[in-house]
Amino acid sequence: MIELHRVSKVFSVGPVKVPALSDVSLRIAKGEFVVLTGASGAGKTTLLRLLYRDDVPSDGEVQVLGEDVASLRRSEVAALRRSIGVVFQDAKLLPARTVYENVAFVLRVLGTPKREITPRVFDALRTVGISARAQAYPAQLSQGEAQRASLARAIVRQPSLLLADEPTGNLDDAMEAEIIDVIKDIRAGGTTVILATHQSRLVRALRRRTITLDGGYLLKDEG
Amino acid sequence: MLGFLIGEALRDLRRAGRVAVSAIVLITLSLAALGGFWLLSANLARAVANWRERVRIIVYLKREPAASEAPALVERVQGVPGVASVVYLSKADALKSLKEILGKDASVVAQLPANPLPASLEVTPAAAAATPDGARTLLRNLQALPEAEEVAGSADWVERLSQWQRLVTTIGLGIGAVLAVAAILTVTTSTTLILHARRHEMEIMRLVGAPEAAIRLPLLLQGMLQGLLGALLALGALVVAHELVAPRLEPLVNLTLGLSHLQFLPLASLMMLLAAGTLLGALGGWLARGRREP
Ligand SMILES: Nc1ncnc2c1ncn2[C@@H]1O[C@H](COP(=O)(O)OP(=O)(O)O)[C@@H](O)[C@H]1O
Ligand SMILES: [Mg+2]
Repeated sequence: MIELHRVSKVFSVGPVKVPALSDVSLRIAKGEFVVLTGASGAGKTTLLRLLYRDDVPSDGEVQVLGEDVASLRRSEVAALRRSIGVVFQDAKLLPARTVYENVAFVLRVLGTPKREITPRVFDALRTVGISARAQAYPAQLSQGEAQRASLARAIVRQPSLLLADEPTGNLDDAMEAEIIDVIKDIRAGGTTVILATHQSRLVRALRRRTITLDGGYLLKDEG
Repeated sequence: MLGFLIGEALRDLRRAGRVAVSAIVLITLSLAALGGFWLLSANLARAVANWRERVRIIVYLKREPAASEAPALVERVQGVPGVASVVYLSKADALKSLKEILGKDASVVAQLPANPLPASLEVTPAAAAATPDGARTLLRNLQALPEAEEVAGSADWVERLSQWQRLVTTIGLGIGAVLAVAAILTVTTSTTLILHARRHEMEIMRLVGAPEAAIRLPLLLQGMLQGLLGALLALGALVVAHELVAPRLEPLVNLTLGLSHLQFLPLASLMMLLAAGTLLGALGGWLARGRREP
């Protein structure tokens, strides 16, 4: 599913070179639930961005779903992303649209036939447990509900890979537990999940395969 | 999908609000100016064509040729370059048409001891001879005929009218072009605003792998909508202006130009104005480019 071979990423900030990832190699199989951890600035976000081809590696090779991401053309990048759901710390919902419209937006953008849209949106909303709030606007949601809506948007296309970058960073403990449960449900449906977090308490609670980055280097891969 | 794209374009237009409105107004102004001058120019062109057809040059003959010589003379003049057709008028013909013109006063003619009118040739110039140079050459050639006593008539003022028509066209194009540039820039500004308002949508679209067309098309569409709306308003303004002004202007136009009425623009021209508006809008929308992916 995912294979990184000696991947490095260096950002150039003016004349300064900032190494974000150094010589990282790893392999993730289909259906796995992997926790990506490390202190703030360790390179977690950078690694995820390479996976959905938001950026390309400076060195080494990144393979996702059988594609070498660096060599993809624009249309192929779009095709790859259609198989990947991404959620962030902030929900990134469109403020002028309801929860329903936010999720439906994705399907409409991708040209899904009209009569399929409503049932698929409600499927996704039920999976994350927010179908009762379908007509609410983002401003009316709690942060936990907003993150659920964001997850619904990520999975409505039934992606084979879900990338979650600090998805519980804004949430209190109770909400965090709920969101983690939703992500576990999604994983149970056959979706590969990579969850990035710097919270060691969450890492311990999850008890999954854990990849630890430190200053851009792969420190540990265990569990 | 198209319904969705148009819906997004309309949502964008609402978001651009007042700037979109000023873009539409500028497109309306530029196309109304263009259309107004076009209308004037088309009518002037019609007047020019009318008058060109009516231009006659009369060659007065030194003496009346014998009836048997006349056809040969006509044929010879017909051969002069720049001549479209020639009609021979004998002294008797001239007198007859004079009587017709005088009508009930024709009896004075009967009192003349002899027919004082010369025989003449009525020459219709070919289109090629309707330019100032062509007309001058034709006049010179006709004057050179040994039979010619005097040559009367010129196409000079038709030429002046035609120059006016060209001037009106140029002014129209000039004003239209200046306004069109302003319109394009305003559409670009409103689209840039929309790009800014739309950046979250575009980020999500890119994130979920929307085709590039679905990301860019609403921008282009809203630009085209601005242009089309502006063009429709301009057409409306032209129709109203024509309805109001034409009846008042027609007596004057009839007197000076010999046009019985001011014609509105033909359908093809109206279509071109609509297309021009849409194109202006599309260009403005296309010129506003946001950050693109690496
Ligand atoms: N776009 C960027 N430009 C410059 N430096 C960056 C950029 N993105 C990340 N970095 C740097 O790369 C390192 C890793 O960042 P990041 O992947 O965001 O870490 P994490 O998500 O683990 O906190 C940091 O030092 C960060 O400052
Ligand atoms: Mg991060």
